[in-house]
Amino acid sequence: MAKKKIILYALILAFTFIAPFAFPNFGTQLATLWLMIIVALTWDMTGGQMGYNSLGNIFFYGTGMYVAALISIGRVYDIGDYTSAAGGGIYEFTDVQYFSGVFLGVLGAGVFCSISAVIIGYVTFGLRGPYFAIGTLGVAIAAGELVSNWDWVGGGQGISLPGYPGDPDTGKVFFYFLFAAVGVSVFVFVKWLYETRFGAAINAIRDDEEKAEAMGIHTLRYKLITWSMAAFFVGMAGGISAFQLLHFEPLETAYQTIFLGIFMVVCVLLGGKGTLWGPVIGAILFHLFKEVTWNYFLGWQWVALGALIVVTVVYFQDGVMGWLVHKRPEWFGIQVEDKIAGETE
Amino acid sequence: MKKTTLLTGLLAGSAMLISQGALAASCGEIVIGSAISLTGKYATNGVHAQKGYEYAITKIRENGGVKVGGKCYNFKVIYYDDESKGDRGATLAERLISQDKVQYMLGPYSSGLTKAIAPITEKYQIPMVEAEGASRSLFNKGYKYLFAVLSTSEQYLASAVSLAAEKAKEQGKSPSSVKVAIAVENDPFSLDIRAGVSEDAAKFGMKVVVDEKLPRDLSDMSAILTKVKLLKPDLLIVSGHSKGAATAVRQIKEQNIKVPMIAITHCEAADVTGKFGDAANDFLCSTQWSETLAYKDSLFGTAAEYEIGFKNAYPEYKAKKVPYQTAQATAAVYVYKDAFERANSLDKEKVRDALTKTDMQTFYGGIKFSKAGNNIAKPMVLRQIQNGEYNVVAPSAFASHKLNWPRN
Repeated sequence: MAKKKIILYALILAFTFIAPFAFPNFGTQLATLWLMIIVALTWDMTGGQMGYNSLGNIFFYGTGMYVAALISIGRVYDIGDYTSAAGGGIYEFTDVQYFSGVFLGVLGAGVFCSISAVIIGYVTFGLRGPYFAIGTLGVAIAAGELVSNWDWVGGGQGISLPGYPGDPDTGKVFFYFLFAAVGVSVFVFVKWLYETRFGAAINAIRDDEEKAEAMGIHTLRYKLITWSMAAFFVGMAGGISAFQLLHFEPLETAYQTIFLGIFMVVCVLLGGKGTLWGPVIGAILFHLFKEVTWNYFLGWQWVALGALIVVTVVYFQDGVMGWLVHKRPEWFGIQVEDKIAGETE
Repeated sequence: MKKTTLLTGLLAGSAMLISQGALAASCGEIVIGSAISLTGKYATNGVHAQKGYEYAITKIRENGGVKVGGKCYNFKVIYYDDESKGDRGATLAERLISQDKVQYMLGPYSSGLTKAIAPITEKYQIPMVEAEGASRSLFNKGYKYLFAVLSTSEQYLASAVSLAAEKAKEQGKSPSSVKVAIAVENDPFSLDIRAGVSEDAAKFGMKVVVDEKLPRDLSDMSAILTKVKLLKPDLLIVSGHSKGAATAVRQIKEQNIKVPMIAITHCEAADVTGKFGDAANDFLCSTQWSETLAYKDSLFGTAAEYEIGFKNAYPEYKAKKVPYQTAQATAAVYVYKDAFERANSLDKEKVRDALTKTDMQTFYGGIKFSKAGNNIAKPMVLRQIQNGEYNVVAPSAFASHKLNWPRN
């Protein structure tokens, strides 16, 4: 059993490495797939495992974009001059400035978002259920509006970043591996985390927060740490996106609450909340669905997406993973006697 | 027997197909890609620009095509609708280049979209001649494949500021007593308009009393106008593409706002005279081009002839002005024709090098690119809507009419 699992993981890892070379035309789509996996897995850390459905995780994505961009620009030029609508001067970056900017920017984005999660969490974790969801959504919307009126960072114009120096196809592979590295790290990290005492504690918060508190779990601390960890990864993903997209603006790209902000939740619901593989499977299915509808049913894509959400919520509340556990419990090591199983059906 | 008949038939058939094909393909095809706003908040101008492109393509085809290496070619543009959204525009540019394999691009509508797409074309080293992105922030990133036929945005309303200063002097007041109100869209184009106006106002020592941004969907500026009513500025500047222009003219009338001088952008594109009639009178409108100017070239004729030709091709424009957005889109295609012919090659690097050396006179004005890619050979003019007519009032070298002042 364990051996089988190791082979499975090795195969997936091998595929991760080969994919951009095997499907060179889909480099960007594969990179975006990893982005979806990252945001879905991190959303599930609070949403699925801890019972706090955040609609504000997109805040960390957008903030990550800005922080990464500002770090990489600010090291070389004056940010106000670089983003000025009035132009002036020519701003170019050397290879060293570019790569060190990407590295420091992405890392800085993770750290900054992680800290801001603690600060925002301190206020919003007093809210429960739908109030938490709306509260965090409010944070993301407000942040987008504030940034879009902040001239120093370009305001509504957004920021244009320098492109990958060198062959654009190599650039695609570069960004694919950046996303993949963060994605694999998130997966390995949460897989480990959910098996520790910490994982049990956040599950306890999900199942009954009062009881968890009564058992001596410092719930606020656990909630803050969990969200902060999620924010670290989302912030890094945002940072990578900034360099990959080259240009972003505050409301539609960075703090895109109704797009990626909702997509990450749909991915998790589709795949199965509170499971390890659910968000991954959900992200893959959702991304495939999105690419197919956006390419072949253009004009109807939003209708199709709406239909997908309705069908998922009405018929597959536990997502693909939940459905599989129900239909094929033996795959998950759950022993069910035939007779009893027969009766329940 | 049967087989031979079939074979002969097939042969004859294919021979016919080939000859037909040869007739149609007497000219080759140069494929250009363009993501353009056919829906969303920039749809009006996106369509103006697309028609400008198509008119140029037809006109070039009718006049023998593009001559490269002794062969003739016609342009064909693959369009995608970017829904007026930057990220969508960038994705489509990527798609045009990687999947449709286009080697040349025509610009989208608006500075914002151009800003989203230019990094992509730059990344793939695909030349993009654009006609609708004027913000100076496009020309400070060191782009080597971006060429803009239009004048940059700070020049749009600069003459309005000097006119206001002139009028103050005539009244025996100091130009520094002029109060300016600015309401602009939160996008690269309008923010650069604002930057330009603020710079000019500062030169005269004028005071900016209102400095507001239009809401995102550009459909309501009544709160800003209330403020304007209260603070009584001498000059009101509004910039928000066509939708912003329509909103401004409509609400200034509805709220009965009296400001001696109001200068806005995109009057013709929004067809404010057709939509609002007298309410549009005495508005100052910046324009990249006017059909009354004395520009001309061998393909499109004079500016006035261009307007007539275009109206004949697109009768829906008969009752209104041909907006400059259309004229400059046509000019962009014309620039490509010129560059291809001078490069005498279909190699994108050679065409790009030819583009940098562009120096031509067109019905749209002179076109010559700076190192940064913006056109430095053409001035902007300011027109005033006088009894429903667009008359050039500034700069004085082009002025055909006197300024009506104060408004109302």
